[in-house]
Amino acid sequence: MSSSNLESAKGDKGSRTKPAVSESNPRIDHMEEVDQFTEQELEARKLIYPGMHSPKVVNVFRELRTQLLQLQKKKNFVCMISSVSSDGGCSYVTQNLASVFALDKSKTSLVIDANLYSPYAHQLIFGEAEIGITDYLSHPDLSIKDIVYATGVPRLRAIPLGSNSEGAAEYFESEKMLLFIDEVKHRYSDRYVFIDAPPVSSSSEARILAGLVDMVVLVVPHGRVTEDQIQIAIDVVGNERLAGLIYNN
Amino acid sequence: MDFAQILQHLNVIFRELWQRKFLVLIGFALISFTVLVVGMLWPSKFETSATIYADNQNILGPLLEKQARQSKVTDQTKVVREKIYSPSLLSKVAEDVFGSAVQETPEALAQFINQLRESLKVKSLGSGYMVLEFSSNDAIVAYEGLNSIIDNFISISSEEQRTESREAFLFIDNQVKQYKDQLVSAENNLKEFTTQNFDGRDTDVSSSIQRIRNQIEELKLSIDEDEITMRALQEQITGEAEFAATTKKVDSYALRLAELESRLSNLLLSFTEDYPDVITLRYQIEDLKRSMRAAATDRVAEQAELKVQGEPRQLEGGSGVLLNPLYQELRSRISNVETSIKAKQKRLSVLSGLLENEFERRQRVAERGVVEAELVRDYDVTKKIYEDMLERKEKARLSMTLNIEGQGVTYRIQEPPLPPLRPTGLRFIHFVLVGPLVALFAVFGIAGAYVLVDPRIRFSSRIYAFGIPVLAVIPHVNTPLTQRLRRSDMILCSVLAVAIFAVYGGLALAHRSGVLL
Repeated sequence: MSSSNLESAKGDKGSRTKPAVSESNPRIDHMEEVDQFTEQELEARKLIYPGMHSPKVVNVFRELRTQLLQLQKKKNFVCMISSVSSDGGCSYVTQNLASVFALDKSKTSLVIDANLYSPYAHQLIFGEAEIGITDYLSHPDLSIKDIVYATGVPRLRAIPLGSNSEGAAEYFESEKMLLFIDEVKHRYSDRYVFIDAPPVSSSSEARILAGLVDMVVLVVPHGRVTEDQIQIAIDVVGNERLAGLIYNN
Repeated sequence: MDFAQILQHLNVIFRELWQRKFLVLIGFALISFTVLVVGMLWPSKFETSATIYADNQNILGPLLEKQARQSKVTDQTKVVREKIYSPSLLSKVAEDVFGSAVQETPEALAQFINQLRESLKVKSLGSGYMVLEFSSNDAIVAYEGLNSIIDNFISISSEEQRTESREAFLFIDNQVKQYKDQLVSAENNLKEFTTQNFDGRDTDVSSSIQRIRNQIEELKLSIDEDEITMRALQEQITGEAEFAATTKKVDSYALRLAELESRLSNLLLSFTEDYPDVITLRYQIEDLKRSMRAAATDRVAEQAELKVQGEPRQLEGGSGVLLNPLYQELRSRISNVETSIKAKQKRLSVLSGLLENEFERRQRVAERGVVEAELVRDYDVTKKIYEDMLERKEKARLSMTLNIEGQGVTYRIQEPPLPPLRPTGLRFIHFVLVGPLVALFAVFGIAGAYVLVDPRIRFSSRIYAFGIPVLAVIPHVNTPLTQRLRRSDMILCSVLAVAIFAVYGGLALAHRSGVLL
């Protein structure tokens, strides 16, 4: 970790309410954490954890983490995850991908829930999480700190969708969104950002978001999409940003 | 498709089935119950069979070889099949089996016959053995039907054979009569012709001509011979005198001379020349010689004169009436030859006339020969056919007798039909057993087909085809909640399946015991 990152982390040190956490980095171990999920809670939320009954899933995500890191030359990145069709397990992949990055004690991860049609980030957060990304984009007086929440998983932070989801496509296209992405990416070099986007096939938001991020991962659900739909999704995202496909059984 | 792929497919199929478990259960129940109902309605089929033997070898066969034509059939099965499937036989059988219902309308009869035809099979076992199989919905109908078929078949076929050979005999008999008439008329024609024909045959005429010619030849030769004889005789007769008188005078001189000369010789033995007797004798001899010369000269003159006159002279007076015997002889012979020549010439002319007649006759014979040859040919041909037919008639009579005695082709019942005890073919129990299996296969088949046909991607291997790196294949994850749900679903499904099977078995038992349907 570079010293400049440490400095900036200090500057941002927390002021907000309960969900807002200190994002100090010098010792990630000392990140301000809320209560952690029990194993039952993790299981119920389909979240992976190191001592799972089926280590196969954890290993799959670890492998996935390695591949993404290799693609980005081990620098931190903003990754959009989208499903080819609706209800494709995109949220599951996003939260677990973030979790697996957070397993590494030298890394933190941030999940931005941009899935307008089936938001889920509140499941990760204890308590109320009304203010989210759409509120931030529409209210100039909100700061990033206001919308970043700690979760039941160590070193994992989440930004929920928020209450102002109408017109989200326009917000995502705004200059503020661009700045926002840039800021969350560059504030901490050990923070990996994952955006959970709506399905490619049924929304324009996915296309917009794909233009803002470093790379895109497409989730192909089992038995729901045809090859044509996959090809269309690939074309929408564009080859240069597409990191690869994930097949979700 | 290797084993791993098959497993993968099976896995996917199970997953699809599980996703639609209640639909699958309903489909399974529907299909198996449908099969059960089909089994309930499936007509039971009773089948019975009998073996018959077509016997065309009998004890008389070798004895009557070539004498009687026995009805010989190479493919017995074909014949039997034709006969058994014939409407006439089947209509009788239909009457026997179905009773008076058959006779109501022609359509009903036709329908019954069709029904019989469909449920009857004729199979050949080779070497004259045949199996008749008959099936029906009713065991008694099957048994009685086959019995009736066999009875009718045997009676009809033997009757047919009898009529067949009787008809053959009658036909040949009729033919024989016709040929006999023809033969008689040909015979009459020939007889009439011969009675009108007096000229005899060609050969007769030829031999007759030959004979006449020979006779003529001989006759001509004989005439020539006679003429030569005639000329020789005439030459001879000119050299002979009619009478021998002049010859007598000279002869007496010669006799006298010889007497004198012998006396002279005697005297000379005892006397000399000077003896007077001797001298006188010498004078007498001289005189006699002179007289002889004179007589000879006269005779030559007479001959010349005779020649000039051409007719026999009158006998010289005083010279004796002695006729020349040679001349007489020659004369008589000449006259004989003359008569012979005349007779022969007459005969020659008669023979020439006969020869002419024979030539005419030969012409006539040649003309009639053509007609005769035709008549003879007719007669010969008719006779030959008639004899042949006569022989055939006897054969036909034998065949007829054979068939009447039942010695021709006979059909024996080798194995009589038995009343069937159990239905053949598919029975209810088969349907009961097969129903769930069919349903299971159908459900699996439909699911498999759905997986194969549905274009949606169910195999991770297929997304590699896009050329985009595949980062991960995430296995299916069961949370405790879903596992609980799954377990309860499993129990529910099992209960449902047990219920389906219970109802299924109950229905089957109900049908079996006659309560249902």
